[in-house]
Formats: sequence, structure tokens, C-alpha cells
Amino acid sequence: MKKIPVILILLISSFYSSGQIGSVQSDESILYAQTKQINQFFRRFNGEEDVTGKRIYDTDDSFHSTKLRNKYLNILFDLSSPLITKDAREVFILEVNSKKNPVFLDFHANNWFAEVSADFTYNRKPIHMILYFKLEKERLGYKWVLSNVHTSAFNKYFKHVGDSISGENFLHPMSHELDFMTLRKMFASPDNIGYYLEKDYYPDQLALFLKEYQEGTLKFVSSNNVKFHFFQIPNWYFEVSYFNRYQNNSGWLISNMVRVNDQEKKEIIRNYTHEK
Amino acid sequence: MKRTMVIVGLIFLSVGLFAQGNDDLSPQRKQAIDSLALEKVRDLSKYISIIGNKDTPWSEAQRVIERAVELFMPGSEMGVSSLSRPEVHYYKLREYFDRLMQLNYDRVVIDWYKIQYVSDLERQPDGTYVGVITVFQRFQGYDKEKGLVYEDTTKKDITVYVKRKETQIGGRLIGFWDVLLGDIRVKETSK
Repeated sequence: MKKIPVILILLISSFYSSGQIGSVQSDESILYAQTKQINQFFRRFNGEEDVTGKRIYDTDDSFHSTKLRNKYLNILFDLSSPLITKDAREVFILEVNSKKNPVFLDFHANNWFAEVSADFTYNRKPIHMILYFKLEKERLGYKWVLSNVHTSAFNKYFKHVGDSISGENFLHPMSHELDFMTLRKMFASPDNIGYYLEKDYYPDQLALFLKEYQEGTLKFVSSNNVKFHFFQIPNWYFEVSYFNRYQNNSGWLISNMVRVNDQEKKEIIRNYTHEK
Repeated sequence: MKRTMVIVGLIFLSVGLFAQGNDDLSPQRKQAIDSLALEKVRDLSKYISIIGNKDTPWSEAQRVIERAVELFMPGSEMGVSSLSRPEVHYYKLREYFDRLMQLNYDRVVIDWYKIQYVSDLERQPDGTYVGVITVFQRFQGYDKEKGLVYEDTTKKDITVYVKRKETQIGGRLIGFWDVLLGDIRVKETSK
């Protein structure tokens, strides 16, 4: 298993020569082996580039070749991750690179999204926030759109939301006959307003984010880490993160992978995006 | 000016031939555009090395900064992070070049690795193609007495915008692909 990346790197080092930019005289095999862009992750996963990093098109013989994909798929995992066993990796590769039913990633398809960690200030205090983005088609092309946000700083606004027992905090079932004059009780305490919501209500942090941002209480400072979550492969979910280390096994790699059914996939998406 | 005309001429020669009224990119056309984009990145690499070089006279550095800025879409920024400061710090291009010129070392050596990676071109909503070229740079800062005092290697992910344009030459409408650089993400790499 370990031999494959080594062979690949040797191939890369020996073939690559054209279109050079620089002058640093050193061993660059690590940089060649590194999966440098998410675009390269897609190409390697699908078998759409040669060992020199050049694009292979659907008119080329080696396009989507099982042999090529087998080499690449093996180097697309974070090999130091305790979350991905060797067995799971091998089963995954066998399934996606099956000769009969190979599975490919599609940049323009649904079922993958980006997670960006970002720093903001909220009421002048630093807070951390997760932003979720997905690709959306518009006119002649595509764009990343903000699909949701999450920060623990907003949790205080959603106290008691989803609590199964409301104690004394409810509008009794005959309130309608009183023209809902019981609302006075409902609005007696801001802390308890969450008890009065329908049980299926799910906090919409994005709406709150828009309000706070537009009112100037929430200000963007900087982005940090980026991760990608993929749900495109039947029966699998995986996460891709950037590994900034001086090793062949570096760059954008699969950092977590779980075998899941469709229902579990929905649950994972909900957990990550904090959506319904 | 003369140089600009030569470059424009080369663009027509190398890419104009491929432009036939269809916005889809054939592999050949994509390769021609990649070459143009790489040429711009090479120019940028050269300019950065000149700007950072302590032997470059101030007036020459200013002239090169102007040339470097011309490679970019207006408003382009550098987003810089290091191993110790993972959050992204944003610099306007001109500010970045000015800071590079004024670095407090007696000697600066900027080298570029041979490796480069060119992404696919994706279309954004207005039809402009966007790609990213990744290159690696080694920076070394020297002090007269202490020798090498700072060294880093950075990965530079450079946005490339490609737009199809038309111009009239001798009464004929000629299509060509205009290539401009955009935002650059600069990330220090692990040693």
C-alpha cells in the first residue's frame, strides 16, 4: 500500500519538466505529491489528470482509467488519521473504482458543501462562527452561496426551544375564546419565550446573522480553516481538510470518512449545517 | 507601451485563432489560455523578485510595482496567513508590494519553485471564466552581521480571470481572450 505513493512521486519527479516558473534547486517531490487544490482533489479522485498534473480530457485513453484512479485514490487520504481504518479505505476504493459501476465526484452537482471557520466581533467582543456555503447555478455559471451559519454566541436567543415540557409556560387551549388575552403571560418573561414555540421549530441562525450584521453589531474580522463535506458517494460520507505539513501525504485529503445509509446522511447534514 | 503592443499581438496570435464565437472551451483553447495565464504569473513572479531585491533602486521598484499592478483586476487583494497566525490578513496589492519593498533586511532573496498547478476554468454568473494557479515561493531575509535571519516557503494560490473580448483590426472583428490576475491567497507552508 505504501509503495504506491512512492512510485507515483518518482513518476511525477521524472516526467515533470515543462512550463517551469522558478529557480529553487531542491527536492520538490513533496510539492508534486501534495494535493494542492480542491480542483486537484476532484481530478485525482476521478482520474482526470496525469502524473505531471496535466488535465486528461474525455477524449484521452486514460480518462477515468481504473489503474490511474487506484494510484490516486490511495494518496487522497490523511494516512495519519485514526478515524479512517485501512479496511474502510480499501472498501471505499473498491467501491468507487469498481470496473462495473465506478463512482465519480461532480463539482457542479449537489451534495457537497464548504464549511468556513471565521472570526467576527459581536457587540465588540470576538466570537467564532461557522459559515456554510454551497454552489448554486446562476445565469452563465456558478457561485458559492451562504446557506447557513452557526455560532454559540446566538444560543442565548434560543433558550428552551424544543424543550418537551413547558412547565407553566403555555397558552391554554381555550385562549382563542379570550381573543388570546393570555398573550400577556406569554410576553411576561423574555427568558421563557422559547417555551411558547411549536415543537418542530428549528432556530434560524442565518436570519439572526443577517439582522445583526446589517445593524452593525456583528462585524467580519477574518476567515481561518476551510473544510469540505461530501455526500455524493452512495453509502459514504467523507470530509476533506487541508494538511499543511512537509510530507508527501499533504494538502487536501480525506480527513474523516463514515459508511452511512441515506437516512444517516441526512442526519449528518443536519448536524453539520444545524438545519432541520 | 511597445511591450504591451507585442503582448497584445501575441495574445491574438496564440488565442485569437481559437476564438470562433463559441464560449465553450475546447482542451486546445484551455491550454492556450493556461499558457497566457502562466505567462502573467511568471511576470508577477519576476516583478516580486525585483521589488523585494534590496539592490533595486527605489524609482525602478516603483516602476515595477506599476507594471505588477497592471496584471491585476482592480480591487485585487492578498490574503496572507502564517503558521503562527492562521487567520487571514488582507492587504491591497499596492500595499503588499510597498511592504515588500520596505522590508527591513539587508538582503532579500526570493526564489520560485519550478512546480505550478493550473486548475480548470469555471464560469461565474456573468460568463467570465475563473481559475486558480498555484505556485510556491521561497523567501530569505539576511542581516549583514547575523546572516540568514528569516526564511519561509509560501504557497500562492492566484486567481485568474479569463474573459472573451472582441476588437476591430483593419475592419475585421477579432475575438480574443483577455487574461487578468485577481486575489491571491498566500499561505506559509510547513517546513
